[in-house]
Amino acid sequence: MTVSQILSVLVFVGAYILIATERVHRVAAALGGAGLMLALGLTNGETAFHSLDAGVDWNVVFLLLGMMIIVGVIKQTGLFEFLAIAAAKRAKGKPFAVLAMFVVITAVASAALDNVTTVLLIAPVTFLVCDRLGLNPIPFLIAEVMASNIGGAATLIGDPPNIIIASRSGLTFNDFLVHMGPFVVVMMAVFVLVCRWLFRSAFHYDEKRVAEVMALSEREAIRNKTLLVQSMIVLALVLVGFVLHSALHVEPSVVALLGAGLLVLISKVTTEEAIEDVEWETLVFFMGLFVMVGALVNTGVIGQVSKALADAVGGQPLLAVMALLVISAVLSAIVDNIPYVATMSPIVSDLVDAQGGGPQAESLWWSLALGADLGGNATAVGASANVVVLGLAARNGTPISFWQFTRYGLVVAGLSVLLAAPYLWLRYFLFA
Amino acid sequence: MRARDLAEDYPLVQLTDDAMTAARLIAEQRRPGVVVVDDENHPVTVLPGSQVLRFIVPGYVQEDPSLARVYDERGGAEACVNKLEGRMVKELLPPKEKRHEIPKVSGDATVIECAATMARLHSPLLLVTDDDTIHGVVTASHLLEVILSTSGTNP
Repeated sequence: MTVSQILSVLVFVGAYILIATERVHRVAAALGGAGLMLALGLTNGETAFHSLDAGVDWNVVFLLLGMMIIVGVIKQTGLFEFLAIAAAKRAKGKPFAVLAMFVVITAVASAALDNVTTVLLIAPVTFLVCDRLGLNPIPFLIAEVMASNIGGAATLIGDPPNIIIASRSGLTFNDFLVHMGPFVVVMMAVFVLVCRWLFRSAFHYDEKRVAEVMALSEREAIRNKTLLVQSMIVLALVLVGFVLHSALHVEPSVVALLGAGLLVLISKVTTEEAIEDVEWETLVFFMGLFVMVGALVNTGVIGQVSKALADAVGGQPLLAVMALLVISAVLSAIVDNIPYVATMSPIVSDLVDAQGGGPQAESLWWSLALGADLGGNATAVGASANVVVLGLAARNGTPISFWQFTRYGLVVAGLSVLLAAPYLWLRYFLFA
Repeated sequence: MRARDLAEDYPLVQLTDDAMTAARLIAEQRRPGVVVVDDENHPVTVLPGSQVLRFIVPGYVQEDPSLARVYDERGGAEACVNKLEGRMVKELLPPKEKRHEIPKVSGDATVIECAATMARLHSPLLLVTDDDTIHGVVTASHLLEVILSTSGTNP
């Protein structure tokens, strides 16, 4: 290894440890690492900001920005509260039926919105309905956050790792729907059944309290009907744009930005309100990560790792897919899946190229996505949405401990991998 | 006019009193709040009505305006009142690190001194005390009445 390669690995590993252990804020760690990479000459401004392979992936950053603006406006309409309360009433307040409905709403919403936003929207309604029914909200919250991680895996925009994978691989929105969607639908059906068993003790309730749920008025949740209609039209246009983006030769980030701009333009939402929910920290974190990973590409570390891995699994593509699935799930359970996928994407890209780039080789991307998205369910810190739900639960006076979450998480994540493995094998190898 | 001239008798509640009693004191006589004292009748803080509301309205409802609208009136009221049952006054107070200093002035404080203290601490009540002896309380409405009448602009 050259000196520059050793230095880049040291800086990267140091920053990664800081991110994983949360000794410093993850943004500070990523930016600090990126700054050091630049200061040590392991990358340069031209590469960091303008290179497609070794620089900041602006497609990812602007796709996230556009969707955050759209979601920020949709949040103000009360649509989510309307849907959730209507669902609870349709379930006639029966706890398992309510949980199943909330879980499905969360998964579907997570496919179109980011997971953290989805759980932020569903959690308050969950507290309200559980309060009314005299139920413990913890099983509901755990099930919802897991559903958001599962549902988010279905689409290009559902989970940040998917956005990174799409940008690095060139896979389209439709590719994600076709390859990830079917698995996610099956996984969700299994997950709902598993919830019946996992949380079986949480479904005892007082039938007299059902009236308290039935008395809630979901129509009152819609605060601004005009904004709701405008938001739905724009969201529909954006989703159509995503479906057609490859045919139109337009990047998903452009679709999202156009949608965000259109929504701000036609609605009476002020610019300040529209960008209020933009998570600038997350965007800056991504930029820092991309510069660090770019330095590893620039110094040739990624190339060497890819070559070593390609040699190790050469001629055994099934082994590569399965190993990537399991390793991704395990690592994503322990550390944030965003830096993991940002690091692995250039490696997987090289491996796909080394295997000739056909559909079987491309299954490596689906293996990475499934492992990283679903592995996050294993522990309380495996995904950003998990951490957010733990915080919300604590603020509500119903704290969820790390192990309380993890003992359910390990079952669901383990089951996900057990289902994903045969799915990948059947679809891309046996019936390829 | 000095603070002691403005001070009115005001009900005091102790930290260990029933929270429902404090809420009733505020509600039944439409007071802006009550004065909380310790076992030795030393003032601890002012408990404004808004803090009682903050305690009884669930946090998730306070943060989500859409949810606040979905309650039926009776169901919403019951949900709030239930949170007061079996609670003590001290449980209604914000955590110590988040409490403002006690809004109080000495008996010889001027009208504007009283107004400035209340404005600075966003308090609807002002304690008038000397050496931990409580002379009474000045309310924001009484203080405004005095200021307006002194300036010649009678309410």
